[in-house]
Amino acid sequence: MKHLSEYRSGEIAAGLAERIAALVEPGSSYKLMEICGGHTHAIYRHGIEDLLPAEVQLVHGPGCPVCVIPMGRQDDAIAIAEQDGVIFTTFADMLRVPATNGSLLDAKARGADVRMVYSPLDALRLARENPDRQVVFFAIGFETTAPSTALTLLRAGAEGANNFSIFCNHVLVPPPLRAILDAPDLQLDGFIGPGHVSTVIGTQPYEFIASEYRKPVVVAGFEPLDVLQSIYMLLRQLTEGRCEVENQYVRVVRREGNERALAVIEETMEVRDTFEWRGLGFIERSALGVRERWGQFDAERRFELPGTRVADPPACQCGEVLRGALRPWECKVFGTACTPERPIGTCMVSSEGACAAYYNYGRLERRSERTPA
Amino acid sequence: MDACSCITCGDVAIVARVVELRGQSAVVECDPPSRGAGGAREEVAVELVAPVELGEQLLCHAGVALERVVQ
Repeated sequence: MKHLSEYRSGEIAAGLAERIAALVEPGSSYKLMEICGGHTHAIYRHGIEDLLPAEVQLVHGPGCPVCVIPMGRQDDAIAIAEQDGVIFTTFADMLRVPATNGSLLDAKARGADVRMVYSPLDALRLARENPDRQVVFFAIGFETTAPSTALTLLRAGAEGANNFSIFCNHVLVPPPLRAILDAPDLQLDGFIGPGHVSTVIGTQPYEFIASEYRKPVVVAGFEPLDVLQSIYMLLRQLTEGRCEVENQYVRVVRREGNERALAVIEETMEVRDTFEWRGLGFIERSALGVRERWGQFDAERRFELPGTRVADPPACQCGEVLRGALRPWECKVFGTACTPERPIGTCMVSSEGACAAYYNYGRLERRSERTPA
Repeated sequence: MDACSCITCGDVAIVARVVELRGQSAVVECDPPSRGAGGAREEVAVELVAPVELGEQLLCHAGVALERVVQ
């Protein structure tokens, strides 16, 4: 497709890499966080780090929605799935996330009716087809995914679907960024902003990063040239002493976002007072729950949940990886006890997880050469 | 972004072209070189970007079109 090949040209990539290298001042270092798991995946898949000078270091952020869900919420999901008469629907990545007593796939093996869907609208269709069953959708994802859940709630309301509900775990991107910026153990120079989240929320919600924390942000697309151009734009800001929110992904992102998408979220969901993130702890106003008016579709109101907080396995260092304090290969169990086939932590489960991205694209050896232990 | 990553979860969306209009939904098709997803057709809700026209490229995620792509 014209659209893709234009953004994957090796020749243009080499030119951009040269321009990036030319901006680097000898003796300085640039620590840039890619917030979004989609970018982490793109960076390792396309070998983008290998095109960058050693002075430019990319740090992975908390932007994998599978990775940030704490184990207690996964236990709650399994508790719902194991209730009589329930059809529990989920995106594929959540199936293998380990909880206290195994994953949703293990629950399915024990007899729970767990099904994979591509969209919450598919879960609503299942509810229509199975009027004598309770169909629950495991709603997970950032602002990119919340509009899809919100539209589904609106349609469920219009249909009067009394056997459909969602277990809402939608999380928001800006609040954890503030938590990371306030953390003492990480000094970052700039951010590669999440492209698809920003199609929904726009670029305005990141402006506090530039105005309050004096760090540049460039909202980026997901093709290799998008990422390289964004790194170039960040380095230009840094070398020119600017800190602004710039938009590299102009083909789909507008400053104000998609107002209709924001409106459907606002109508059906509200910001929770607080929510626990794996590795980051409780962050105020960082997640969405179902509005009371739509409470009949809220699995947290419909089912009794254990709601217990569960500590991660002692060997798991996903928390440090999610904060960018530790790189995947520095984790004690990376690639040995924890692999995509038998993950201990969430970062190894999702294809957007930093550990899975490292593992799957074999970047471990090269990175070890570049970065002394 | 292509089909080797999870197309439903997280901040991943795919660009697809409108090939059929069905009221509040549209059938979209991924163009061939987007690897595994090439040629795949899917019905997506289009309320958030309506009105859409045949041939338009939409950014789709979890069964919903989030934005139209401006070349």
